Amino acid sequence: MDFNPCMKHQLIRKTVREFVESEIKPHVALMDKESRFPWEIIEKMKPLNFFGLQVPKIYGGADLDTISYAITIEELSRVSAALGLCVTVHNSVGIFPILKFGTKEQQNRFIPAMASGDSIGAFCLTEANAGSDAGGVETNAVETKDGFILNGTKIFVTNGGVCGTILVFAVSEGRDKKNYASVFIVEKDCPGFSVGEIEDLCGMRANPVSSLFFEDCKVPETNLLGKMGQGMKIGLIALDTGRIGIAAQALGIAQAAFESSISYAKERQQFNKPLSKFQTIQNYLAEMATKIDASRLLVYRAAACKDSGKAFSEASSMAKLYCSATAKEVTDMAVQIHGGYGYSKEYDVERYFRDAKVTQIYEGTSEVQKMVIARSILSKPS
Amino acid sequence: MLNIIVCIKQVPMVSELPWNSKTGTLKRELAEGMMDPASRRALEAALQIKENLDANICAVTMGPAMAEEILHQAKALGADEGVLLTDRRMAGADTFLTSHILSRFIQREYNSFDLVICGSQTSDSETAQVGPQLAEDLGIPAIGYINKISVKENTVEVQRHVDDFFETLSMDLPGLVTIDLSAYKPRYLALEGVEKAFENPDIRIIDAEKLGFNDDFNALKDSPTRIIDVFSPTTQNENRVLKGAVKKLVDQLFDEYGKVISSGMGKDLKTHEHDEV
Repeated sequence: MDFNPCMKHQLIRKTVREFVESEIKPHVALMDKESRFPWEIIEKMKPLNFFGLQVPKIYGGADLDTISYAITIEELSRVSAALGLCVTVHNSVGIFPILKFGTKEQQNRFIPAMASGDSIGAFCLTEANAGSDAGGVETNAVETKDGFILNGTKIFVTNGGVCGTILVFAVSEGRDKKNYASVFIVEKDCPGFSVGEIEDLCGMRANPVSSLFFEDCKVPETNLLGKMGQGMKIGLIALDTGRIGIAAQALGIAQAAFESSISYAKERQQFNKPLSKFQTIQNYLAEMATKIDASRLLVYRAAACKDSGKAFSEASSMAKLYCSATAKEVTDMAVQIHGGYGYSKEYDVERYFRDAKVTQIYEGTSEVQKMVIARSILSKPS
Repeated sequence: MLNIIVCIKQVPMVSELPWNSKTGTLKRELAEGMMDPASRRALEAALQIKENLDANICAVTMGPAMAEEILHQAKALGADEGVLLTDRRMAGADTFLTSHILSRFIQREYNSFDLVICGSQTSDSETAQVGPQLAEDLGIPAIGYINKISVKENTVEVQRHVDDFFETLSMDLPGLVTIDLSAYKPRYLALEGVEKAFENPDIRIIDAEKLGFNDDFNALKDSPTRIIDVFSPTTQNENRVLKGAVKKLVDQLFDEYGKVISSGMGKDLKTHEHDEV
């Protein structure tokens, strides 16, 4: 067992860090303040393969392993959690299901534009009455002679305001009168598709999370992903993958808050000595470092499980559960160390604190992760 | 085909490192390494030459085993080969011996080179000596601090910024240039490049014996120069608040700081005390 990253993974980290520190970091605070999706930065990210991280080279991707993928999301989120979110959702729940369940024709049609970043991916499951309970989806798909007609409204769609290729969960009535969920690939210029208002959210404000409307939205037959009724299976596998990305994102946020806290604690003087000399502050820093280290091990283990072809659902849920809790706790401690300044928008930790919370909610709440983990451990022979 | 050798170096990612007073060398193992910024520019110059003509780029570095990382990085950016000169006995070499070791490599292992490109100076030692010394050891011409290069058959035409003007020079090949820190902004590395570099991770490793050094060769001992001390320059900022009546304060200010103010203004304040402002 070797806990040291290999040279390739070290170089991936340095490569991403170099770019995000120079090209993204100077703009992050303003992007958050203005709730602005930075298209000019996206243009710079495109040729560096951020939008085709694990896409095979034949489709123009970087074909990275999952550990490299996690490191990329971690480093990106360390500087901009909102862009980390955009990239991880695009790659994991946007592209991955098409690579895993799509036909060759679908892969040829959709993947190159997604891998180049020309078409940003979104995944929409959540509705007003369906979130953790995916069975409550009401968006419906009616089969016609040349395709499907979708009707419904999806909410809280990450990348919603900028997406070009959307995976939509919808139910259809089977011959047995029961509802079966399926996944449809919808392109932004499909008749009947429209984007709602951008949500006014607590954190991740540079990501245009929005509602998406499907009103008699006509989808060709060739846009059905997998088979009719395979929606749940596709969704669960996509989310297992997505959780590694969200765990890495939470880890990146925690790392950023930790680094800010170290600098501040060494710099800020109270009672004629730096904060770092006080045992109370040292306790915070020790706790932060330990939680971050444990989080990192969980994320990379889940990624390694996926790379080795083993079942990774339990590992990715554990990583997501723990990393998101770490992000919340570490950013909370970071604000506490910064005192009044930490509560001010002048300091980055205020943004980290707002960004961290949602990692416990999206791509399966912490409560859902516990259900997944419990189901997995109880299903094993004792 | 133009054979280009780019000399690169791994430097610590932090600006300050503890110093080992016994050996007179930096404790490099305490910091993560990165490709020296000037080396990145040297490689960028080579990559831009290769964009326009048939060329082979060999990136070479001398350092510990961990320096292999920057050779993979160089290959990921577009270098064709990576060579690591590494041996415990080469550790602690000063700039003179470093240049000589690089020269040995080029002469013994790479005899058909056309152009050697180095960064002007590395961020960890800033001596700017290795490039010119290497050219001297190889017996080839060298031009330092260039910011533009174009290859024309058996010569290169280069431009550099000297004082307030640019000079254009021509040099026969084989020759050596060092790239100024203001030129050849390095490209970002695409992630696909990293993956590709590690698909074919061949790096040639060359030790002291392969370079023809005998058994009692010891770079630390054999280096003709030795560093006595390494320190970061510090500035002492003193903030003083003068309190009291204004006229008295102005007198006090000029008495105590008159010389400093004069030198800053480029005027002798005593002879210009009645100048209108």
